[in-house]
Amino acid sequence: MARITIDPITRIEGHLRIDAVVDGGEVQKAWASCSMWRGIETILLGRDPREAWLYTQRFCGVCTTVHAMASVRAVEDALHLEVPLNAQYIRNLILIAHALHDHIVHFYHLSALDFVDVTTIPKADPAKAASIAQSLSDWPGNSRQEMERVQKKIVALLQSGQLGIFTNGYWGHPAMKLPPEVNLLAVAHYLQALEFQRKANQVVGILGGKTPHIQNLAVGGVMNAINLDSLATLNMDRLYMIKDLFDEVIPFVQQVYFPDCCAIAGFYPEWFGIGAGVKNYLAVPDLPTDTASTTFDIPGGTIFDGDLAGVKRISGSGDEYFRKGVVEDVTHGWYRGRGAQHPWQGETVPEYTDFQDDGKYTWVKAPRFEGKPMQVGPLASVLVGYALGHELTRKWTDLALERVAAIAQRKVTPDLLHSTMGRYGARAIRAAMLSDMAIRHWELLVNNVTKGDSSVYNAPHFPKDSIEGVGLHEAPRGTLSHWVVVKDGVIANYQAVVPTTWNASPRDERGVPGPYEASLLKNPVADPEKPLEILRTVHSFDPCLACACHTLDVEGKTIATVKVL
Amino acid sequence: MTAAAEAPTRIAVIGIGNVLLGDDGFGPCVVALLQAGWEFPDNVTLVDAGTPGLGLVTFLDGCDVAVLVDAVGATGRPGELRLYRGEDLRNLPTKPRVSPHDPAVQEALSIVELGGRGPRAVRLFGVIPESHELGAGLSPPVRAAATATAVRVVEELTKFGAILTPRPEPRALEAWWMADPLKTASCA
Repeated sequence: MARITIDPITRIEGHLRIDAVVDGGEVQKAWASCSMWRGIETILLGRDPREAWLYTQRFCGVCTTVHAMASVRAVEDALHLEVPLNAQYIRNLILIAHALHDHIVHFYHLSALDFVDVTTIPKADPAKAASIAQSLSDWPGNSRQEMERVQKKIVALLQSGQLGIFTNGYWGHPAMKLPPEVNLLAVAHYLQALEFQRKANQVVGILGGKTPHIQNLAVGGVMNAINLDSLATLNMDRLYMIKDLFDEVIPFVQQVYFPDCCAIAGFYPEWFGIGAGVKNYLAVPDLPTDTASTTFDIPGGTIFDGDLAGVKRISGSGDEYFRKGVVEDVTHGWYRGRGAQHPWQGETVPEYTDFQDDGKYTWVKAPRFEGKPMQVGPLASVLVGYALGHELTRKWTDLALERVAAIAQRKVTPDLLHSTMGRYGARAIRAAMLSDMAIRHWELLVNNVTKGDSSVYNAPHFPKDSIEGVGLHEAPRGTLSHWVVVKDGVIANYQAVVPTTWNASPRDERGVPGPYEASLLKNPVADPEKPLEILRTVHSFDPCLACACHTLDVEGKTIATVKVL
Repeated sequence: MTAAAEAPTRIAVIGIGNVLLGDDGFGPCVVALLQAGWEFPDNVTLVDAGTPGLGLVTFLDGCDVAVLVDAVGATGRPGELRLYRGEDLRNLPTKPRVSPHDPAVQEALSIVELGGRGPRAVRLFGVIPESHELGAGLSPPVRAAATATAVRVVEELTKFGAILTPRPEPRALEAWWMADPLKTASCA
């Protein structure tokens, strides 16, 4: 038996730590821990609710936009304040562009190298790589010349001995299974992806004024002045710049990212049988299409025990099923007390102990919905959409299953999505679906503006008494909710229940583990010194703890990386 | 001389750090000081990048010179300033990546270099922080270092041919988190 600790922390920053007990080549027990205090919301107490979003978008450096959006929505919900249509569409375009950027980066730059062995590339036949790539799609970047160019680059890099980005990979690991040609085409697309993630981000910059940290939001709408004839505002030129960028990003998503993900899934079908974990799912509706945020282009809901037929819809932030369903349990978190509280009553009083296997062991609270741990993320959103018969979700999910089945030479059904590979696949399905939505929301905005509507903002008015609101956003990593209590015009309580809090949740009062912990059970581990398989499952969730601190460790004094006891 | 060589050097000055975590906000503060005090030529972009993880790639991509400003974990007194070059950063050991948040300066540099669009020169001005406690604003030694660093960055940019002019009237510091007043909404 071995106990593995994967802990990238240095002396200063604190991030995700995974502990796993491995016996007989499989994980028998696991713990997920965040080694840094999450009580960043306390900085908001006593502040102006109209400015909260400026602070919340600094919670997290990777998903700044999403915390800004959830914050203004929370205050608008508390005030029952409607948002002009233009503002809804502009926000939706920002959210779509941000998500496309984020999903592309996750697949290629943060997780593909868990499946792609760069060191086999010198053995690849570039002509064959090009022909495989061309069989997947007619993307122009799949030529033989491109594959030769990338192969030369990688060969030179490997010969130089300075592997750079590839230093850390578990190369030659027995769980790496792609043919050299597929590794080559994946790395070619990895490099091409740099350009398209940047273009998606440019859309955020044009509409948000700046990225990261957009500047165009306001409680009540957006601050983008619309005047089709003025150079200084959101005019036809800028709208077409956005359209042109989407017209470049969308083919990359649909002809490169989506088919690549299906192909990798087809070569690793065993990963559809690993990592299901918690089969309760939560997703919230997003991309509102009316001023009161009651109709949405992406549905939300809950699924319990993997039963798609029993899906229950969440209609919006006003839905009592959602508002009353969420609690956060602190029994195993480094906070005062035991048991669960609703976010509006929630307190964040630290009480640090050491890492105690059976006691408190993390700074993450344990969110529960109707008492149950929930998995959030693209998989939850896709399964809920699929179960509710959402057209675009069905279209892309069915296409993905078909493609995987063709490569894996076996039948692939939606229930296989409850798995580590299902989470990768669902992210690609969601990206493809959102890329269809991008043009739809661009057209909605342009049509509304050309009709003569230039309204973007409704001014908020704060009552003296105490009001409560929740802002929802189905972010790239899943359901995000900001819960605010405003009294006398200032913030009296603020709790952000972030996607990674749901997924990296510790055990609760009843000892029920969270999604990361549950998904690691029975996860194979061929070599405890190189726990590649654990990283695959953890990375499939796209962990992102909303408490980033950057200090760079220039002396390289890592306390522990992978430790086997 | 080729056309490419005649084009002005594209320089990015990138402040990194979380402004809600004390001295970790050093990088963004230096960027705000530069914006307030100097006029910049078109070939220099200033970025308050927050804590971008691998998102740093976006800002490094296609620039000739990258000047990073960050807090660093090194042995020394709080407020001490260190200058690192690309080679120094490249030789640091890397760690298994678990979360997209993990500081990713080396990795981001490697990625853009592999893509053939990396900077030819990299400088990193790093300050040794006193505190990472939750809260907006810098400790006194690090705040003093921020002012000194802004001047050092301007000097460094001169070496790369970018001439910055001090503003006759410095602008207000666009660093809302530094002032940190508790403002309240007026009640109806």
